[in-house]
Amino acid sequence: MSFLPLKERSFTIKIMSERVYKLLQQGKRIDERSPYEFRKITIQTNVVEKANGSALVSMGSTRILTGIKVELGTPYGDRPNEGVFSVNAELLPLASKSFEPGPPDERGIELARVVDRCIREGKAIDLEKLCIVPGRTVYVLYIDIYVLDYDGNYFDPSVISAMAALATCTLPNYSLVNEKVERVEGEYIKVPIRDVPLSLTIGIIKDKLLVDPCLAEENSLDTSIVICMDSASNVVAVQKNSPGHIPFLLMESIINIAEEQISKIRAQFKEVVGVG
Amino acid sequence: MPIYFNEREIVLPGQLLSDDSRRAGEGTYVTNGKVFASTVGIATIRDGKVEVIMLKGPYRPMAGDMVIGIVSDIKPIGVEVELGSYVTALLKVKNAKELLSLNLKIGDVIYARVASSGLKGVLLELNEQFKKITEGVLLTITPTKVPRLIGKKGSMINMIKKITGCSIMVGTNGFVIVNGPSPTSEFAAASAIRLIERETHSQGLTDKVMAYVSRLVGGEVAYDTNDKT
Amino acid sequence: MTQTTKPKLIDENGRRLDGRGPTDLRSLKIEVGILEKSDGSAYVELGKTKVYAAVYGPKEAHPKHLAIPDRAILNCRYHMTSFSTDERKILGMTRREVELSKVIREALESVVFLEEFPRSAIDVFVEVVQADGGTRTAGLTAASLALADAGIPMRELIAAVAVGKVDGTIILDPSDIEDKYGEADMPVGMTPSSNTIVLLQLNGKMTKDEFKQGLELAQAGIQKIYQAQREAIRRKYGASTTEV
Repeated sequence: MSFLPLKERSFTIKIMSERVYKLLQQGKRIDERSPYEFRKITIQTNVVEKANGSALVSMGSTRILTGIKVELGTPYGDRPNEGVFSVNAELLPLASKSFEPGPPDERGIELARVVDRCIREGKAIDLEKLCIVPGRTVYVLYIDIYVLDYDGNYFDPSVISAMAALATCTLPNYSLVNEKVERVEGEYIKVPIRDVPLSLTIGIIKDKLLVDPCLAEENSLDTSIVICMDSASNVVAVQKNSPGHIPFLLMESIINIAEEQISKIRAQFKEVVGVG
Repeated sequence: MPIYFNEREIVLPGQLLSDDSRRAGEGTYVTNGKVFASTVGIATIRDGKVEVIMLKGPYRPMAGDMVIGIVSDIKPIGVEVELGSYVTALLKVKNAKELLSLNLKIGDVIYARVASSGLKGVLLELNEQFKKITEGVLLTITPTKVPRLIGKKGSMINMIKKITGCSIMVGTNGFVIVNGPSPTSEFAAASAIRLIERETHSQGLTDKVMAYVSRLVGGEVAYDTNDKT
Repeated sequence: MTQTTKPKLIDENGRRLDGRGPTDLRSLKIEVGILEKSDGSAYVELGKTKVYAAVYGPKEAHPKHLAIPDRAILNCRYHMTSFSTDERKILGMTRREVELSKVIREALESVVFLEEFPRSAIDVFVEVVQADGGTRTAGLTAASLALADAGIPMRELIAAVAVGKVDGTIILDPSDIEDKYGEADMPVGMTPSSNTIVLLQLNGKMTKDEFKQGLELAQAGIQKIYQAQREAIRRKYGASTTEV
């Protein structure tokens, strides 16, 4: 069953939602951005030395920290030649008064699953290269996402930080010696990155669209949708992530805007992280 | 009567300010006859009292405050109103008819006077000053900075209103409503308010704000002229 | 990466593994007011130990029956990210995190003027991003700054540091490896001006003299941390009065 988290039952401030829409009709936004402009992105990698890979990403005031821990494990039965990864996300109570302490609620789980799909379906990692002994020993990557500061839209910066952490993640090297998996001391390998899928969140109010909503806008939206695309602009994951209607006729614009803005995010990602 | 700080020094909680407990003012506490700071703030002497001017802090409702709030619940006895404080305020009504006549819904923004604040909670007054706000942008600032935003006899806020042409309502609780003729004028007013919040205690702030707002609005005038031609 | 045999923690010149002398603190970095959406926040970095703290409130206590008529309730959660430790930490709260949440909360309760906000709640969240020893003391140092940043009236700031005993020597601010292979670890939290102890734990064995020596060393370290706290607050707020 899905319950609306208690704190989210809070009201929207009426004059604010009216103002967000009125501005949008004039091609303007409450924080002075243009409708399809995302907020300033900063990416810092290797911020946690004890993690195999990590990245601190901010999009406006929204701030996400992702860390990756690597262990050895067994592959899935139906994919004996592939390494394994799992994504977890926590909306820390530190980040917002609307986040409660406790195990991830449905929003946290949704975030983790969307990022997971984006990485998996976007074929971000060459999982076969993460296999050490087929059917027996593979690398297992735990990609853990923490929302540290929440000013709307945690999806896009989470995908960026997960990808930045992956792209800079190093794994201890292992080799097979006399049927035994042994650590090659001092040697590390990089996570084999095949593609960098990225996402864009688009908000919908009536017939208008806006990109990367800040919190004040998020509370005023009719609904919103997350579009994930790979570097060839294939759509690799989609999530309509709040209740409400999307006019069918808007979908084409949504995909076009996503393509255009994701390519801009990709350019920034490539500049800082080196791949993209 | 030794004083242990420089005038307008930034002090920390627990910092010794004076040996004379009779001089303890706001933002201080007394232990063993000595006066200490209880908050981060600017230490100063006002009317012979040692005071710490808070730089940031929660809103504490007081009778007589004019506040802006958001309707959070409607109950038979009245309307519950969020003030961004640690207690929700109540706008009491006499009867169901009066409640209905207010025509308030959850999420509406109102302007009202605090009638009382104490152990029984915070009560708002339904007097001639009461207003339902129907349009504008809601901003929030640290309540401790409201006096600076208003300025001496309203000098600061009136200047921003005059230059931007916006109407601005300021609640003692730090909620501010800006409503202007154009997005540019509202953005200018909002930016000015944020500048005041950032640089509350810098000298020559009024001139700085004036130059800043004029520049922002100046852009709009030029833009509008071009638009019409 | 994890070591299984005890390394020599202090060399013949009295230097520790990271080159410090016994009474040296690791490099310390403190920032105040770095998380936008909280009412108050702070970040403390002590060597590789990295901790955020944020405060929400005072706000209405929920559920309402938990509210206390004559004062605020203080809630505290100390939590570590899964990648903060050498071995990946399980998700959710461990028993250790629950205990540390309690001792940090009690330390903070002893300095906050809770009676100023009846029936309300103040939430304090400590998030350990990387753990290399001394996370609860760094967390407490950060939490007290976050409370001050939120403008919540307090008797005094709290500064905290751990002391330890390794290879028979009393040391300041043990790192993770010194904690793991040392003979004792003693986190201490104090009010730096009025000189009271608000957090004290000991895990290990010390003689009475060593215990006393440890406390004195902690007290000296706390003064250094307090100086850094003051500087961090002045960096954050100082700019606003320079022109006055």
